[in-house]
Order: sequence, then structure tokens, then C-alpha cells
Amino acid sequence: MICFLIAVLATAALLAQPVEFNRDIRPILSDRCFACHGPDAANRKSPLRLDGEADAKKDLGRRRFAILPGDPANSLLYQRITSANNALRMPPQSAGHAALPPAAIASIKRWIEQGAQWQSHWSFVAPTRPATHASIDAFVRQGRKPNPPASPETLLRRVHLDLTGLPPSPADVDTFLLNPSSYEKVVDKLLASDAHAERMALRWLDAARYADTNGYQSDGVRDMWRWRDWVIDAFRANMPFDKFTIEQIAGDLLPNATLAQKIATGFHRNHRTNAEGGIVEEEFRVEYVADRVETTSTVWLGLTLGCARCHDHKFDPLKQRDFYSMFAFFNNVPERGLVYNFGNEEPMIKAPTPQMAARLAALDATLAAAKSNWENYQPKLAADQKQWEKKLPKSAPDWAVNQGLIYAQPQTPVTFDGTKTVDAGDVAKFNYMTPYSFSVWIKPASETGAILSRIQDYWEGEGYGLYIKNGNLHFVATRRYTDISMRLETTEKVRLNQWQHVSFTYDGSHKAKGVRIRIDGKPATIKTTFDELTYPFGPKVPFLIGGGGGLRFKGEIKEVRVYDRALTEEEALSTSVTESLETIARLPASQRTPAQQAKLHLAFIETAMNADARVALTARDNAQSERDKFHASIPTVMVMQEGPKRQAFLLKRGAYDAPGEPVDPATPAALPPMKPEWPSNRLGLAYWLVDRNNPLTARVQVNRAWQMFFGQGLVKTVEDFGSQGEWPLHIDLLDWLAVEFMDSGWDQRALEKRIVMSQTYRQSSAAPPEAWQLDPDNRLLARGPRVRLAAPFVRDQALAAAGLLVPTIGGPSVKPYQPPGLWQELGGGGYKEDSGDGLYRKSLYTYWKRTVGPPMMLNFDAPTREGCIVRESRTNTPLQALNLMNDVAFLEAARKLGERMIREGGLDPSARLAYGWKLVLGRQPRTGELASITIAYHRFLTRFKTDPAAAEAFLKQGESLRAPLDPAELAAAATVASLILNLDEAVTKD
Amino acid sequence: MNPLTRRHFFGKSATGIGAAALGSLLSAETLPHFAPKAKRVIYLFQSGGPSQLELFDYKPRLVDKYKTELPDSIRMGQRLTGMSSTQSTFPVVPSRFKFSQHGKSGAWVSELLPHTSQIVDKIAIIKSVYTEAINHDPAVTFLQTGSQIAGRPSIGSWMAYGLGAEAKNLPAFVVMISPGGGTGGQPLYDRLWGSGFLPTRYQGVKFRSVGDPVLYLKDPAGFTRDDRRAYLDTLSELNQSKAAELGDPEISTRISQYEMAFQMQSSVPELIDLTKESPTAIDSYGPDARKPGTFAYNCLMARRLAERGVRFIQLYHRDWDHHGGLPDGLPKRCKETDQPAAALVKDLEARGMLDDTLVIWGGEFGRTVYCQGRLTEKDYGRDHHPRCFTMWMAGGGVKPGLTLGETDDYGYNITADPVHVHDLQATIMHLMGVDHTKLTFRFAGRHFRLTDVHGAVAAKLLA
Repeated sequence: MICFLIAVLATAALLAQPVEFNRDIRPILSDRCFACHGPDAANRKSPLRLDGEADAKKDLGRRRFAILPGDPANSLLYQRITSANNALRMPPQSAGHAALPPAAIASIKRWIEQGAQWQSHWSFVAPTRPATHASIDAFVRQGRKPNPPASPETLLRRVHLDLTGLPPSPADVDTFLLNPSSYEKVVDKLLASDAHAERMALRWLDAARYADTNGYQSDGVRDMWRWRDWVIDAFRANMPFDKFTIEQIAGDLLPNATLAQKIATGFHRNHRTNAEGGIVEEEFRVEYVADRVETTSTVWLGLTLGCARCHDHKFDPLKQRDFYSMFAFFNNVPERGLVYNFGNEEPMIKAPTPQMAARLAALDATLAAAKSNWENYQPKLAADQKQWEKKLPKSAPDWAVNQGLIYAQPQTPVTFDGTKTVDAGDVAKFNYMTPYSFSVWIKPASETGAILSRIQDYWEGEGYGLYIKNGNLHFVATRRYTDISMRLETTEKVRLNQWQHVSFTYDGSHKAKGVRIRIDGKPATIKTTFDELTYPFGPKVPFLIGGGGGLRFKGEIKEVRVYDRALTEEEALSTSVTESLETIARLPASQRTPAQQAKLHLAFIETAMNADARVALTARDNAQSERDKFHASIPTVMVMQEGPKRQAFLLKRGAYDAPGEPVDPATPAALPPMKPEWPSNRLGLAYWLVDRNNPLTARVQVNRAWQMFFGQGLVKTVEDFGSQGEWPLHIDLLDWLAVEFMDSGWDQRALEKRIVMSQTYRQSSAAPPEAWQLDPDNRLLARGPRVRLAAPFVRDQALAAAGLLVPTIGGPSVKPYQPPGLWQELGGGGYKEDSGDGLYRKSLYTYWKRTVGPPMMLNFDAPTREGCIVRESRTNTPLQALNLMNDVAFLEAARKLGERMIREGGLDPSARLAYGWKLVLGRQPRTGELASITIAYHRFLTRFKTDPAAAEAFLKQGESLRAPLDPAELAAAATVASLILNLDEAVTKD
Repeated sequence: MNPLTRRHFFGKSATGIGAAALGSLLSAETLPHFAPKAKRVIYLFQSGGPSQLELFDYKPRLVDKYKTELPDSIRMGQRLTGMSSTQSTFPVVPSRFKFSQHGKSGAWVSELLPHTSQIVDKIAIIKSVYTEAINHDPAVTFLQTGSQIAGRPSIGSWMAYGLGAEAKNLPAFVVMISPGGGTGGQPLYDRLWGSGFLPTRYQGVKFRSVGDPVLYLKDPAGFTRDDRRAYLDTLSELNQSKAAELGDPEISTRISQYEMAFQMQSSVPELIDLTKESPTAIDSYGPDARKPGTFAYNCLMARRLAERGVRFIQLYHRDWDHHGGLPDGLPKRCKETDQPAAALVKDLEARGMLDDTLVIWGGEFGRTVYCQGRLTEKDYGRDHHPRCFTMWMAGGGVKPGLTLGETDDYGYNITADPVHVHDLQATIMHLMGVDHTKLTFRFAGRHFRLTDVHGAVAAKLLA
């Protein structure tokens, strides 16, 4: 309560002015009255509404008024909030509401006395350029004296950390100290740096709920790094925010959308997705669409539209209908609720980097040349084959496809009586992602039976099996029959009591479309009855002939051939041929079946083709496989696509299975409408978001930029610009920045530059204790910002100062040090730490598993990436202390920093320590500071000299090589280095 | 140095909730709202959904219904998971395990829980808990945060936020996990003890069985306690001079957080040091009690944490998800958990702590009366069932020897005294002296609470 009063006093001290509705009254009405007297029609407890002026001031009958301007005593509102009668006093105690505090009652009284001036909610009215001032400092000062400027060292470190997430190097510091007036040049340089693009991307990833896994229970992997790198590229190019918006919301709908524009739409595929078996698909698909609505409204509009998902918004003029109208924009993605657990889910695209695209093009060219070269041989080969056929001796060995053959039994027919099976042992252990083929001769005596299988011996068991059921061929591959399996059958029936050949090929795509079945060489028509083979399976049962899945074969089976690859069409065709090569060769070409032709051709190619042609064929096959391999390695990214229209409905109580009236895409009715010339889809929505008339987007963006520099926004509730949001003390400044931002063509760097060039930003953060007490959050901006570094920069700074940071930009996420067992203990699989560069990349690239986030990031308040978070949070806990002192990442950084001190800092211990200090803090230590760390250094030097084993043990931190230095000296230097990295100043942007 | 208050441990401000809720003109709470019955909670979460039908909810008539189709009049259009909704039949399967009555209260308990059977007069069995979720993630999230959707604070975080810590040198909210001896079962997620939109200092601190019990607790090799003390003295000196220069009170807070870290480095090893614990006491928790990472060990630790004033102690035991192989898997989970859970209750009672410690046992939902997958002589499985499941509570103001709630002959629908998840949460908070409608946090324009806008205290449960 003490803090609370101080805050009120501080605000009041600044603003001993007339009561202003939006600042002083709306927050009270909104928080305490709107729930029953506000916009939510379903829950309104009274005919009286207080959320609009006309309603609030109308004659309630018999000349009674809720608000009678100038006359609190005759205003029912005032009477009821001050009533001595508990039963009458508002808000009603009986419903569990607390009484209004006296200060709130006094404000309402004064407001009514002063005429009860109403104002539209500020953020719903488009900002206009305030005439009063034209610079940040003029708006902030309002006659007050600013704090003195921060020292050049402090300012340089501040702006480096803010714009790049890294501290300045000692050389940067020295250069700047020689010429502190070069500040603007420094700023320009930093803004143009790649590190700046990475720093800005990181902030966007939190808002975009970017992660490397799907979230929810099974939390499988996904690959969205190409989208992440798109964001980095966008900031590198200083892409204007309107374009940045349009491409991410609707890049795919732009005319002739480029690959990059399609990748950009990954923004709205970053939400969590569920792969838990047994979920109701629609429930989660709805969840994904709702997430897009909520994220869009938080990130662009600063509105809590999610509150209108189940009912009309209780505080803001947002109807439940508005939520579902927005929902309709995002509802047509051809996606599903149950996703694949081991990679990206449709819709997705191949997203090569430019380098990859170039390499692919080169491989395609090579392949085309190899193919054409091979084609050139064909006329000659055709002639050669004829010759070969003619000369084929009677004694020529027969031929069959043998490449990839892993099992071939029995040679002679085996009779099955409907009970027996042949146990072929531990062969043909195939899984959902492995290609395989079968070739088999059957002579069924019954319409139902198992031909071959590796499956538990009951119908819904786990494994795979090729069966006859009711005369049709059936294939089943199952992890769990009811929901994780592939089930298909042929429409053709097998013939009873006759020998016939069946060939089966599967390409390992885990989709039924990857299956081909032939009966006697003729392709069968496949009817897929279930196509959800999304998990590995693997029962410990043998490969059985004539049984499996609870079925038994009746009749005869012979020549079961099993391949661990998908045979080509020609090969599959050839497997049905019984005639020997020689027999076929004797037939006139016109009398041969296609299958016989195939066999003959394949045999010729494999056994008798001339050497030159073989080279050409090998070259073609190699080129093909190299191309395919590379193509498979090209990352995909999940993107937005517009599928067939899916009618959206208002969902009652927000429940997926309670559709109400149908709704079409529309923006919230309380905001300016979309222009008629815009398409009524995501693209139109994107145009609307960044339209000049949109009152929110620019304000919300400049507010978040402000938060990045000052630790909190001008509107502290960066996620809520509604009536429950905080009233901005510096509302004119906010509007001015918003207008400037739009006028600049949404130039993000210009906005940042404007802020860091201001005197307000460049002030010293030092202030007397009273000032801190009076305004702990620095809402008045009477001093410079002092904010603990965000989690990623705490780590990145240590890596940079230690000289460990690997500056590679982009690429797949990496797995730095993590205490062992963190994933396993929650059942989340094993974390395989990287070795080498992966340990030292910027935290932007750290692999983010949603359900078990990187521990250091979470310790230091990073959002969990489960959903969109735009509010920055800083806490101060003992776990952070332990993390900084004992995490191998920081101990290794301390060791390397110690090495730098010794190797680069000169010969004198004090100079070395001062150098280490400067590497982290960007300044020379003061005399007292240097004395402290020097004493500490000598204490530890003595300690490690007397206990060399301790020094050795202490230095065994991390994978990086240890410099050949005196162990005791290095251990003492590393201890001081750790100490420096743990200073409040080190983890704080000052 | 600033004097440390009891709320200081994970907080930057001695005003705790006042500061956290600052920004709203209108939030001023004094907690607890009324005299608490329980000062702390030990929540033994059985993750995966233990079957009520084999453990507590005795349904003798099911034997006659073996393999008969579940009647529509019982299922009443209940939505099923995608795992069993496409089954062609829904054959009823009774418990393979025997039940008998125990204690003065005559509560029915399964032969799988011989130790729990011995404490029925100390606990309240609730057979009528129900939820809305049918899949693990939403269901566990619902129980722990009051919402199926991720992002809300967990119950332990709410308690830490509202009531602060009693312990001086341990966190207010501690989590321990045991995997279950089977395949490990359904994964868990950090968010289950996360603080959601509450400041992260209220999140549960995971005490681990692998490596440091608390992440990064141990000083590096070659670094003694004296070294750390000397290190911290210099650090503090430097930080203090900075504090004097800039005036930022956050620096003083950081100094005290480093001191707390230093204290934790002693208090946590002391916590897990069992040398001063009587062997009889340890043995009472069963053969696994000395093995870190087991449920038995965690139960013992829970008692030690409770003794040291930790506010909310949450255990998770995994692998109760018996879609198939239930007759094999369920007894194993029971063997791992039955004795330790019962021992914990007895141990707390013996130490006079059961009166103000609330112990809770239960999973995220129940299991279906019909068989999922293949029904054979020896084997069957059960799918997720949200409409009723059994939990038990003990101590901390709960009426002992009570069996609350009834379900129909199929153990499918509740017929008396339903307790919704939000009711359960409201009841837990009530026992802790907190009015669940009044402990709120304003975020994104709304005053959020654990029970959303629902929940009623289950009065019949109260002693």
C-alpha cells in the first residue's frame, strides 16, 4: 500500500490539474462499473450503462440522473457510491465487490462538479500531431529540468546494449571518448549493423510466439527458422513497418508473391499446435485460429480482443461478433487440428536460402544434362538390346530384381490350412518412414486371410500387414488402430483358387498415396480408408507368412520377396513375370506383355549394357540421388495459405462445438471500417492494420519501441490500449511519435534513432533516493533508463566480453549448454548439447522447446513462447544469482575473460583487472573499485597457489581450449571475471 | 543490508501483493482473508489419470455387465477422445481387482492400495470430481491453472503470490517429479508450475533428482564455501557503492538476492541430507525412500520441505495413462505410490503437522468403464474419462473419514455431490484462508483469478 500511495502522490503531484475523464475517471468506471453497467449485454446487471456519455447522462425517469453535471449530490452515481447503506452502496458488497477507495470517490465528485466532461476513449480516436511541441524532450520536460547527461561511457554502453544487445568493445569506448560528439555517427552505425537486426528480431520473436517445437503435451519438433531469418533480413533492410505487417499477415495473397513474402506468413503459423493422440481435431483447429486473432490484436492493436471470445467485452466496445469476424479472416487455412509430431505440418513450403536455391539450380542443371546424355544413348541401346536378345543363350541365368532384396522365401509353394503360419524371424522391420516393397504369389482358398505381416496377432494390433479381406487386398500399418494408422484396400478382388501375383511398394512418405499395389502386374485401384500414420511403430513380433492381425491364410503362398526400398514401376511390374529371360527373348516383341518387356529391359540394362552407357546411367542416377538428397535437406517452413472458404460462426461461450450465427470477415465495428476497394480477406485486413486511419497500430508500435529503451511503455500496459489499459501520462508524446512514425513511412530505424538521440534517453539514471521513492518506475522520465538486461543479452554480453561469441547469422537453432536431464525428467526426450560453434551463438538462435524452455532464459524472465507476449518483465531472484555464478556458460565465459585479461590486459595485475572490467562494463574502474577487485584477485591468487588442484578443477569449465597460462593466475583472474559478470551494473543497462 | 522479510525471498518488494498489483488504483488486499486451516499444501499429482474404477469407486454390479455394450442411457452423447471414438464396440469391463471396506468409516478401497486402506479414517475420499477436458495437456493445465489454455498462473504460484513464503531460505513453491517405473508416461511441462502472467518470482522451483537439486545451486569444483563468501563480500561491496552512487533500490535488492542464494546453498543440501533422519521414519516411506527421483523419496522430501515452511509442495508421479495393459501397469504405479503417500499422512500426523498441512492426491481425469482396445481374459485398457474421478485429501481442515460423492452403477456419471475442478480449487484456497473470488491479478485489462468466474467451496469436505 505504501508504494501504491507514493505512486498516486507522484502522479497527483505532476497533475494538479482539472479532473480529466480519460485519465482519472474512465479507469475507475471501467474497472469497477463496466462489468455490470458496460458493453457486455449478456452480463449487464442493470439497464443503466456507464460506458457511453448519452446513456450515462440520460434522464432515467422522473428527472433522475446517474450523472447530473455540476451536481454530484443529485447524481445517482455519486449517491450510490457514497451511500451509508451497505445494501445500496455501489459496487455491491453482496456480490463480493470491494468498496471504492476514498481517492476514487473524491475524483468522481470533483469530475461531476467540474461539469462531467466526457471524452471518447483516447486510443480509439486516430492520433493527430499535437501542436504543442515537436521533440521528445519538449514533451517530456514540460518546464522541468532534466537530469544531467549520462557520462559518455555510460551512454555508449547503454546505446550499444539497446541497439545491438552487446556491450561496446574497449576500442569502441576509446574512440568514443576521444570524440563524444560523434554520438549520432555511433547511433547510425549501430542501427545499420547486423547485430541490430538480430536484436530487433529477438524482440519480435517473443511477440510472434516463435519456437522450435509445437508445444502442448508431445511438443514435437518443427522448423520455422527460415521465418526467423526472414525477420532478421527484414530488419537488416529496415523494412518499413507497414510492409513488414502486410507480408507477415498476407504475403501469400500479394500479386506474384515471392518466396520471401510467402515465408513471411510463417508469423501466423508460429502458434502452438497439438499432436496429442485422441484430441478432437476441430477443438484445436479453432484454438489455432483464435490464437491468430488474439496475437494480431495484441501485437498490432493493443487490444484484448481475446476477452470477447466467449462474450461481449466487459470493458471495451468489442462485441463477441467482432472476435469471430476477425476469426473469419484466419479461418480458411487448409490446416488441421491434429498435427504431425515430427516436423512441419501442412500447409508448408520448401524455403531454400538464396545459397541453397543456387545450389539446387546447379544440381538440377547437372541432372538435366545427365538425363539428356542418358537419353542420347537410347537409340543405340535399343539396337544393342535386340542384338543381345537374339544372342541370349538357352543356358542364360534368369534374372530378377535383386537390389534391396532382404528376404526371398519359400521357393516352393507352402500350403496354409487356416491355422498355421511361417515364422520368418526378425526380418522386414519396417517403420512408417522407411520405404519397402513386397512381391508374392498367392493362391487363396478363402476370401479372408493374412498374406504377410509383422503385426500383433489381433485385428487392431500394432505393426503392418498385407491381408485379403472379403476378397479385397488390404494393407494396414498401425501404431494405434483407431487414430494412428494407415488403412487401405483395393477395389479389385483376388481370384480364389488361382495363382496370382501381388506386388506392393511404399515410398516411406507415411501417406497412403505413397502405396502402389499391382495384381498380376496390373495396377490396382486403392481406396484409402484411414490415413494418419504419423508415429513410429514397432512391435516385437516376427515377420509372419500366412498369418498376423488375428487372420490366417487358407491356400498356398510362394516366393515372398521383400525389399527395403520402393521398387520403381518398371521393377514392380517385372516381379510378376514367371517366364525366363530366354523364353521372353524368343517371343516376338509385339507379343510380349509390358511386364515381360520390363523384365527384359531391366535385365539388359543391368547385365549387358555397354560400358559407356553404364557410365551415363550411373551419372544420371548419381545426379538424381544427389539432387534428391539435397532437395530433401532444404528446410521447409509452415506458411499461411487461403484454402476453400470455411464458413466462420460465432461460437457460443467460445466453444468449438457450439456454433451460432454465421459471420464473415470484418474488422471490429468500433474501429474505422475497411475501405471498400480492399479485398475482404487477410490482405484487406493487413492494409487496414497499417492504414493511416487506424488509431491503434502506430501508437502500439511506438509504445513498444519506447518500452524497449525505457523498460516500460509510455502506456505501461503495452498489450492493452483499451479502457482497462493504463492512461499514458505522456499521451501527447505518444501521439506525436505515432504520427511521426507514420509520416516517416513507418521507418523503424528513424523511430529508434529519434528516441536514442533525445536528451531524455541520454540523461543520467542517477537520482536521489527520494526521486526513486517518489517515482520508482520513472514514469515522469525525469532520469535516464536503468533496466536489467533481457535474458538473451545477459548471456550474449558474457560471450562477447569473453571473446567466445560466434557471430554467424541465421540458420537452424543451436543447443548450448543445459544442465543434463532437464528434458528427460519431464518426459520430453533427450537434449543433445552442441559442440563447438553451437555453444557460442547468440541466444536468438538457442533452441526453444516450448514445454521445457532454456532454463537460463526462463530464470531471467524471458517469455515462455507458449503464446504472444509483448510486455517485458524483470524480476530479481536468488535463482538468477545462482545461474550467473554457477552455470557452466558463465563460468566458461569467466575463464575466457580471465584469459583475455592476462593476454591482452598488460603485465600489471591491476591493468589486467581494469581491462576485464572495461570489457564488460565499458569503462575504467574507479580507484575504489579497482582496489576491491585487486584485493579479491590477490586473495584468490594466494588461495589457488596454495591449492593447485583447486585451480585446475575450477578451470575445467566448458569445452573451449584453455590457454597455456599459470593456473593459479588464470583461476584468480577468472574468479574476478565471474565477479564482474555478476555485478548489478553488468546485468543492467544503465 | 535491508532486513529481509518473509516475502522477500523471491520478491523485490516487501509489500508483495501490493506492489505486484500496483497500477490499479483499486487493488488492496489483505491476506489471508480469514484464518487458514492449512498453512501449506502437499499436492501429490498422479499424472496420466489413475483409474477410479480399480482404486476407489467400487462397482460390484459391473461383474454382471462384463463385455456388454455401454448403454446410450449412460453415455448420453458424451464426447470421446479420438483414440476410442471410432471403436466399433464399447464393452464394459469391471475391475479385475478386489475391494474391501476399511477403518471405522468403512470406506471401500482396492486391494491395490493396502497402505492407503490403513489411513481411510484420516482422509476424505472424493469420488465425484469432474473436469471438462478429455486430453492430458488441457486437463492437467486445467487442474493446475484453472484454465485449459496455457498462460495462466499455476495454483502454487497463486499461493506464493497471495501468501508469500513461510520459509526463510527456501522458495515458497517447490515441485518434484518422479517418472513412474513404466515407459515414463505422458510428458509434463514447465508451465504446470509456471507463474503465467504473475511475476516469474512466483513460479515453482523444481527440485531435481539429477544433478543439482536446484539448478545451478552448487559452486564450481575448486570453489569452497569460504571462496564463495569472499567472492560475495567483494561483490556486495562493489554493488553497494553503485547503489550509493545511483540510488536505485533495485541494486540493494540484488545484493540481498545474492545473500539468499548463498543461504540456499546451505539450506538445500541440509534439506536433502538424510543422515539426521531416523531410519525408521525413512523406512516407513517404503523401500524406495532413499532413492532420489522416486515418489517415495519425494514424499519424504515433501515432509521435510513442509517442516521448513515451504508453502506449496507439488509432486508429480507420471505414467498412470492406462489405455491398454491396465492390469499390468496399474499395480506397478500403485506399488510405487501407495505406501509413500500413506506414510506421508501418518508421518505428518505423528509430528503434529497434519492439522495445518493439506495433502491432496489425484490425477487429471478418470478412466472409462468401457474397454479401450483389445479386451481379453488377461488384458484391457481404459480411455480418458472426464465425468467423474476420485481424489483424496487429508489434514488441513478436511473432514477425516469422509467419502464424498456418488456415481452411477457404471462409475460413469456423478449422482451425488459433484465437485468441479474449480470447486476443488476454491476449496483448497478456502482451506488456505483465501477467498478464491478475491485473490486476483490484473492482466490484459482483466482481474484474473484461479477459478476464472466459477467455483464454489465444497462445504461438505470441511471439518
